[in-house]
Amino acid sequence: MIGMTLIVKKVTQFIIGLIFVFGINIVLFGHLTPGGGFAGGVILACGFILIMLAFGKDIALGKVRKPIAHIMDSSGALMFLALAMLGYIGGTFFFNFLPQGKQFYLRSAGFIPLANIAIGIKVSSSLFVAFVVLVLFGKQVSKTMDDSDEE
Amino acid sequence: MTIYLMCFLLLVMGLYCLVAKKHLIKKIIGLVILDYAINLFIVLIGYRPSGTRPGGLPPILFPDMNPAQFSREAVDPLPQALVLTSIVIGLGVLFMLVSLAIRIYEKYKTLDTSEISKLKG
Repeated sequence: MIGMTLIVKKVTQFIIGLIFVFGINIVLFGHLTPGGGFAGGVILACGFILIMLAFGKDIALGKVRKPIAHIMDSSGALMFLALAMLGYIGGTFFFNFLPQGKQFYLRSAGFIPLANIAIGIKVSSSLFVAFVVLVLFGKQVSKTMDDSDEE
Repeated sequence: MTIYLMCFLLLVMGLYCLVAKKHLIKKIIGLVILDYAINLFIVLIGYRPSGTRPGGLPPILFPDMNPAQFSREAVDPLPQALVLTSIVIGLGVLFMLVSLAIRIYEKYKTLDTSEISKLKG
C-alpha cells in the first residue's frame, strides 16, 4: 500500500491547510511576535514533509515538482540579496530605506517583513529538497542492496 | 547554579555517547544531544531575574509599557534570536550525517565502527 492508513490520510487532508496558514502567519508577523523567517520556514517545510509521508513520494512530487522547488530556493536567496543591495539608496549596504511607519502595526519596521518572507521561502524549499534527495537516495540504495543479495 | 550544572550534565552525556559507543547511529544521536546542550547553555546565559514577575519578563513589548524600563528589566532577546538559526543549522548537519551513514552502509554492509576501521580499500 502506498503511504499510510486511511485515518492518517483523512486527518492530513483536514489539517494541512491550517498548517500552511499557521506557518505563513509566523513568517509574516515576524517583526511583532516571536518567530520570523527561520522558524516559519521550518513549519512550512514540515507541512510538505507531512504530505510526502502520508501519501507517498509520487503524489507529493506531483504537487511540487523538483524544478519548481529548485527555482523557489534560488529566488528566495536572490530576493534577500536584492533587498540588501537596494540599501545603497539610503547610503550603506543593508540600510533600512523604507519608512518606519506606526508602531505595533503590520506595515512598519522598514523592509524587515520583506526579508522575513524571502528567508521563509528559502528555508522551506531547501529543507523540502534535502528530504526529497534523502528519500530518492534511500530507494536507490535499497534497490542495489536487493540486487546484490539476489546474486 | 543547579541549572547550569544540569546543562553541563547533558553535554557530558552527549560527549560520552559520541566517543564510547561503537554503532554509527548511536554516535550520531550523541552528536545531536551535544548540539542541543550547547544551544540551551547560550539561551540560559541571557536570563535576567525580574522583580515584577517571578520567572523573568519575556522580551515582548506591549503598547502600554514604558520602553526604557522594559529594556532594563526584560530577559535579553539577542541570545534567543541567534540560537534560533543555530538550531536549524544543527538540522542541516544531521541531514548530511545521515546521508553519509547510508552511503557507508551501502559500501561496507555494516555500521560497526570497529569493523569499518579494520577494512582496507
